[in-house]
Amino acid sequence: MSSPTLPPGLAIQKADERIMTLNVGPQHPGSGHMRIIVQIDGDYIVACDPDPGYVHRGEEKMAEYRNYVLNIPHLERPVIHDSCNILYPYVLGAEELLGLEVPERAKYIRVIASELNRCVYTQYWLAIYGIFLGHSTMFMWPAGDRELLIDLLEKMTGARVTHSYFVPGGIRNDLPANFEDVCLRQVNYFEKRIKEYADVFYENPILISRTEKTGILSREKAIGLGTTGSVLRASGVDYDVRKKEPYDVYDELDFETNVMKSGDSYARSRIPWLDMMESCRIIRDALQKMPKSGSVRVKLKPNPKGALGSVYKRVESGRGALGCYIISDKKPEPYRVKLSVPSFRNLIALPQLLIGEKLGNMPSVYWSLNYWPVEADR
Amino acid sequence: MGTATGIIKALNSGIKHIALKRFTLRYPEEKLKFVGDGYQFDPTTGVGIAGLKGRHMLFHDHCTGCQLCSIACEGVAEAIGMVKVPEEWKQNKKSIMPQIDYGKCVFCGLCVDACPFYALYMTNDYELSSFSKEGLIYTPAQLQVKPTVAQDSEIQISARGATHG
Repeated sequence: MSSPTLPPGLAIQKADERIMTLNVGPQHPGSGHMRIIVQIDGDYIVACDPDPGYVHRGEEKMAEYRNYVLNIPHLERPVIHDSCNILYPYVLGAEELLGLEVPERAKYIRVIASELNRCVYTQYWLAIYGIFLGHSTMFMWPAGDRELLIDLLEKMTGARVTHSYFVPGGIRNDLPANFEDVCLRQVNYFEKRIKEYADVFYENPILISRTEKTGILSREKAIGLGTTGSVLRASGVDYDVRKKEPYDVYDELDFETNVMKSGDSYARSRIPWLDMMESCRIIRDALQKMPKSGSVRVKLKPNPKGALGSVYKRVESGRGALGCYIISDKKPEPYRVKLSVPSFRNLIALPQLLIGEKLGNMPSVYWSLNYWPVEADR
Repeated sequence: MGTATGIIKALNSGIKHIALKRFTLRYPEEKLKFVGDGYQFDPTTGVGIAGLKGRHMLFHDHCTGCQLCSIACEGVAEAIGMVKVPEEWKQNKKSIMPQIDYGKCVFCGLCVDACPFYALYMTNDYELSSFSKEGLIYTPAQLQVKPTVAQDSEIQISARGATHG
């Protein structure tokens, strides 16, 4: 109700009777607690406000009280399905501060572990994407085929999801005997399996009609909002950290980046699937080029002290560019660890994508952003 | 491609799966086989040996009671506590050995990396469930026992698909 004593601009506007505010969440929408506040007019979304922060764990503060090695088990917890990739920038940074030279074989094994992990993450993401669209087959198939790669990672690292495999100076243990053959066989079969997803999911007219031309993010907006990874590449920007700033041995391996121009939900869901095939190619190439023997880890002193200074390293994770900024003040513990996570940066695009969409399209647009609530909150 | 063709293709792709073998592991009857006898660590080279990170195994004749495993765990899970044991070993003057609380352990294996005396390894035993919290605490005497594991199922790939054979 407007008061006659107030100037016209400050008067309280009576809300439109047609608009309804709806809280979607904060229950578990597939990956962690997260709320989206939407205002709907009938079936159409007129305003959207994503509300992350329900699973904040204080990872960055915890990292200031542990030494460079003991930070590893807790720093991989934000994305347990992609645990090798979230550790990767931290480990690269710690190596520079501690002045360690990584053996060549360890670099190749790291790349293999990281690419396997990217596929495991993407398969999980794809399974949830399928169930968000009500496509139960697409939940069952990726969840089952993911097991082929989890089995390989289990043989390599000794754990199914939280591997704690990368350490400053290399990797924890060498590959088991006969691993190359098993890896090649299972990765080839995995690639054959994911190609079958085309018929049932990616070229299915029902999926195309639900996701095409929904949640369009233009090339200019994608760059302006600072999105990364599959969201950026789906909008037509060819940007991949593995190509632009190669780390470890990515500059010696043969692969391509996938770019699509349309920038809609369909493109954003197709890019990770195409990336998985590139990952299979990288794994095969790395297995071939890898030195067959040699050291995999530099021996560390107990409680190694970092050199004075700071370092920023980036890698391409399953969701996009993942950065880690470490400041060291000549103590065994880092002075500050900052994780720059792709999930949080991709979430910024959500309010712009949802306006004008139907409420029924919200899950597919939200999940196509490759968003992981726990990682965004850290 | 028309809508009808697309739907028929999708259905056809699903129907092909009737001929494929079942991939699911029938867990309590079948158990997955792991490489080696569990994660181990060689302190002379500073590199581990690949294996599953399951329940620990403690070698009483090697443990010196130095507490390095417990110190490593303080920054991770605080699962290891040092307890008095009614045994006398030449190398362990204080008679203390690690006791592990599997309600807290995250199975990262950094305690194994910390042990310089080849006394603590991990095994392939992962079936640790218990009806009480106390049942999850393993004393040095329980950790000494080598687990008996019957794990023989491996992923096999044939023309009719992958299966846990």
